[in-house]
Amino acid sequence: MNAHLKRTFYLFVAGFAGLVVMLAYWQVYSREALANNPENGFQTQRSISSPRGLILAGDGETVLAKSAKRGTPRGPVYDRVYPLGTPFSNVVGYWSTRYGATGIEISNNSDLSSVVGEPETLDDLINRATGGPQPGNNVVLTIDPGLQKLAYQELSASSTGRGSVVALNPKTGDILAMATSPSFDPNEVDENYPELANAPDAPLVDRATQSLYPPGSVFKVITAAAALEAGVSPEQHFFDSGAYELPGYTVHNFEGKDFGDVTFTRALAYSINVVFAKIAVNIVGARPLTEMALNFGFGDPYDDFSVPVSGSSVNSLPPEKWTTGTLAQTAFGQGEVQTNAFEMALVAGAIANDGELMEPRLVREVRSPDGIILDKPTPSVRRQALPQSTAETLNEMMQQVIIEGGLTEAEIEGMKVAGKTGTAESGNGEPHSWWITFAPADDPKIAMCVMIENGGRADEGALPIAARLMKAYLVDGV
Amino acid sequence: MVLALLVTTLGFATLIFVQEATSPPLVYGAYYAGTLFVLYLGVRLLLPHSDVLLLPIVTLLTGLGLVMIFRLTYNVEGAQKLALTQAVWILIGSGALFLLVLFLRNNYDRLFDYKYLLAIAAVFLIASTFTPLGYTVNGARLWVDLGPVNFQPSEFSRIALVVFFAGYLAEKRDVLAATSRSFLGIQLPAIKYFGPVALVWAASLGLLVFEKDLGSSLLFFAVPLLMLYAATGRIAYVLLGGVLFCVGSFVTFLIFEHVQVRVQSWLDPWQDPDGTGFQILQSIFNIADGGLLGTGLGAGFAQTIPEVETDFVFSAIASELGLLGATAVLLAFLAFTYRGTKIALLAEDDASKLLAFGLTAMFAIQTLIIVGGVTRAIPLTGITLPFVSYGGSSVVGNFLLTGLLLLVSERAGRRETEGLTYRDGRWVST
Repeated sequence: MNAHLKRTFYLFVAGFAGLVVMLAYWQVYSREALANNPENGFQTQRSISSPRGLILAGDGETVLAKSAKRGTPRGPVYDRVYPLGTPFSNVVGYWSTRYGATGIEISNNSDLSSVVGEPETLDDLINRATGGPQPGNNVVLTIDPGLQKLAYQELSASSTGRGSVVALNPKTGDILAMATSPSFDPNEVDENYPELANAPDAPLVDRATQSLYPPGSVFKVITAAAALEAGVSPEQHFFDSGAYELPGYTVHNFEGKDFGDVTFTRALAYSINVVFAKIAVNIVGARPLTEMALNFGFGDPYDDFSVPVSGSSVNSLPPEKWTTGTLAQTAFGQGEVQTNAFEMALVAGAIANDGELMEPRLVREVRSPDGIILDKPTPSVRRQALPQSTAETLNEMMQQVIIEGGLTEAEIEGMKVAGKTGTAESGNGEPHSWWITFAPADDPKIAMCVMIENGGRADEGALPIAARLMKAYLVDGV
Repeated sequence: MVLALLVTTLGFATLIFVQEATSPPLVYGAYYAGTLFVLYLGVRLLLPHSDVLLLPIVTLLTGLGLVMIFRLTYNVEGAQKLALTQAVWILIGSGALFLLVLFLRNNYDRLFDYKYLLAIAAVFLIASTFTPLGYTVNGARLWVDLGPVNFQPSEFSRIALVVFFAGYLAEKRDVLAATSRSFLGIQLPAIKYFGPVALVWAASLGLLVFEKDLGSSLLFFAVPLLMLYAATGRIAYVLLGGVLFCVGSFVTFLIFEHVQVRVQSWLDPWQDPDGTGFQILQSIFNIADGGLLGTGLGAGFAQTIPEVETDFVFSAIASELGLLGATAVLLAFLAFTYRGTKIALLAEDDASKLLAFGLTAMFAIQTLIIVGGVTRAIPLTGITLPFVSYGGSSVVGNFLLTGLLLLVSERAGRRETEGLTYRDGRWVST
């Protein structure tokens, strides 16, 4: 019988050894994978036991996110508080132990979270040596707090309440405002997440960067750039008969108008579809038009930007396979062209900045808790979107959009202003309302794109909002 | 023994320091240490030849259990007193062990004379959960409410059943091993002798299946089977049992929804990470969080696991003590199993051998089932980790189990010191 007992004992030994192997599998082999599993809240759980750094607006003073201490039986816990709430939530993001993190909270998590690694300042070293709490570093954004707040207010007061604004400094790429509506209060994400995620108007989606819409006539600035590169001059004359027949597709002008003999500058000012379609089909061609759009950042997902961006696109087919109808529609931003306020603001910025597309950025600097600058990247050029001379010509033409087009509302006293309207067929209800602009046109300080979903005509939806925001920023100094 | 108590004290000291917790009344700690120490001395006195390692291991494991339960519950609303309750249960278990040793120190064979009575009592004990006194916890009806105390009868009845099987199998060992007929190539013993074994086995198993207590059912199935194998040496029994087990498992899987849920959440817990898969996933996350060296006592998140202080206490240990600590704890369990097997090997008569073996096998399998369950090696079945998990019936039952092992070891130890050796299958004088 003893042999049987021994054999059974060996079986048990094998069983115990198996358990140790299983433990080793979890605790060593798949440890990291499990720690990073989205269902695993331990990392955020652990992180709430020390304060995160501040997120500050572009003025370096306005606090957008901070950690507030709360005593619990298990010791202090730090809650994330967003003093300015909803208008900034698409940029700042939220930090939830249950629902993960978004925005700057996650893109700059390694700066914000309590420091691990080499101490970076003397205070840091002393703090660590004495075992005191080690707050994370502070992140200073490029956002102008007043403009951001105003932009959000304008959007939520717009005709549909759905839209987005992106404003940037054309010379540095600093994002001055990036607003979306409807949005959400980041202070209440833990309580409201399921409703927010399922709400029909998608408040968690940042319309400025993540949604894609047909741009309509604002895209004509890209077609115009391609035409100038192809040798078209601003004074060149074209004839508009009100319709342009192509195999399987006929181009009409907005509201069925016809303008007769016009210069290229006037064609842009009056946003004449027929002329732009003719230029695209007869002069520019599909590939150069596509390449110009790519130069301006279409097709680029901006992976190194702080928040996720849906890349804009011209068409699903390669240009060689387009029909002339496709090319004609693309010329005035219909067909399959898809973009958003973020991309169109960059387009406006590149034209304003002599053709240089600056690297867009939301973070200006990272400071230690005691204020020492740890990281302050200098602005950099992402790409030369178009030659300087072409950009200057296009700049002039865009100033004429306001002057010749009689868009007096967009004018700012004592300043040259450039812009372009867009009223895009949305396929669903009222057209989308677009307006891109920059000013002062001879020394640009701000470029902006306003987009109102189903907002109707450009000069009734997006333009007035942009005009108020531009004046607030340039004249009143918000 | 002193080492075991020191480890427990160190554990508590660490916790109190790390968590800035108020100390549990030290006097209770003194009671705990004192009782186990007195128990140890008492047993040394009553059974001077018995195994010297069993009680220190038990002290280590119960001490570790107390530390973990205290750590996991001291700041949980409504559960702060669990560690204290557990300490009281340990005292009761110690008392029960002492009484058992006191009354049966010369002739524990008396138990075998009452084996049928014990078997019937065991079956009735399990069946008692179907009386109005019984109630259901977590889908399994295995509790009995006796006024001031609630207990799980299966924790005790399984010890009684092991005694029965040991007595019966030792008596009928030869006839069971003799092959009188064969069925489908498997040689079977006469129904007459096999009957009672099968009957008791089936009765207890059947009842447990109806109680929906998967862990205990598995124990009740595997332990008698291994005892049968040990007694007869016929691997055919194990094979037949294995086949029966597969068929039975499949049938239960088809019939009972809660079994399907268990298997589902074992195979793919990610399917419903916030529902059926929640407990096992939290367990795995905690274990992984521990890594090689653990987070340190009190620094883990094991409280996220539902029922962590009972069935999932091992996950908390693995989380806070790491792979090394958890392996050390498993080694302590293995050491107990080793000593138990050794007691069985050294025991003189068949009944004692089978008794010691059966008890040891039950202890080992129970550990393997629950640790395997919380580490997702096998489907999870609700069962306690012997001595460590919170649970009165379990603690007292395992103390009784230890007491029986001590009794068996005493006799063998005495024979050995009195100059007898084991040779050619029998004890002979040298």
